[in-house]
Amino acid sequence: MGFIEWVRFIVGVGLLIAGLLIFVVELYGVFKFKYVLNRMHTAAMGDTMGLGISLLGLIVLCGLNFTSLKMGLIIVFLWLASPVSSHLIARLEVTINEELEAYCELPEERAAKETTDAEEKCIKEVEKEGVGC
Amino acid sequence: MELVQQFAWIFHIILIILAVMLILCLIRAIIGPRIADRLMAINMISTMVMVIIAILAVVMNEGYLIDICLIYAMISFLAVVVLTKIYTGVYLEARDRRSELKNSEREAVKTDAAESGKGGPDHGIH
Repeated sequence: MGFIEWVRFIVGVGLLIAGLLIFVVELYGVFKFKYVLNRMHTAAMGDTMGLGISLLGLIVLCGLNFTSLKMGLIIVFLWLASPVSSHLIARLEVTINEELEAYCELPEERAAKETTDAEEKCIKEVEKEGVGC
Repeated sequence: MELVQQFAWIFHIILIILAVMLILCLIRAIIGPRIADRLMAINMISTMVMVIIAILAVVMNEGYLIDICLIYAMISFLAVVVLTKIYTGVYLEARDRRSELKNSEREAVKTDAAESGKGGPDHGIH
């Protein structure tokens, strides 16, 4: 085994360990942040960068053959799929959380809509009480 | 490739660290206060399992494990899509039912009031 083999091995293992470090940072962030929409940020980092660098290291170790081609396909697929799933989870959270204002600032439209909703509710309650009296 | 087999212990240590992080992800999924937390943790678990399968494929020199990894990625993405759709649908349905119930209650109160207003004098006459 020549010099090139050693260089390839060291570069591959180094990239793999870099990917592992990114997974560690991801896990630390997931336990550090307080709300889902903050935690999602670090989770997406692990999905794209951690897995990308780890599989890049494995591609370097493996050399050029069909296995490494499939690994590249996995990286490309996760680049496409991870933002979509993050978006879906965030939309689920925004839809089902009824006191979202307690956690984050809302854009103008939604805040305005919620205030009008609250006003309508108030008016209806007044009407109801009037009928009740 | 011979170097990989020669220094297999490096990969074994990496696999052990990944397994420990997998258990921490599972803890996050258990204590996560909201549904989105749990889904996100499951997403992270599937990513780490994919890395583990890829490392095993290289260390054991079995190329077909990579196919399993690809299928795992697709199935985990599908699971996230389906679960978010199901939870959103269930929540919206429950909210609609709640608002419908409130509306019908309000209607019932109104009609009761109207009937008692009409019915009072009638009773007086008879």
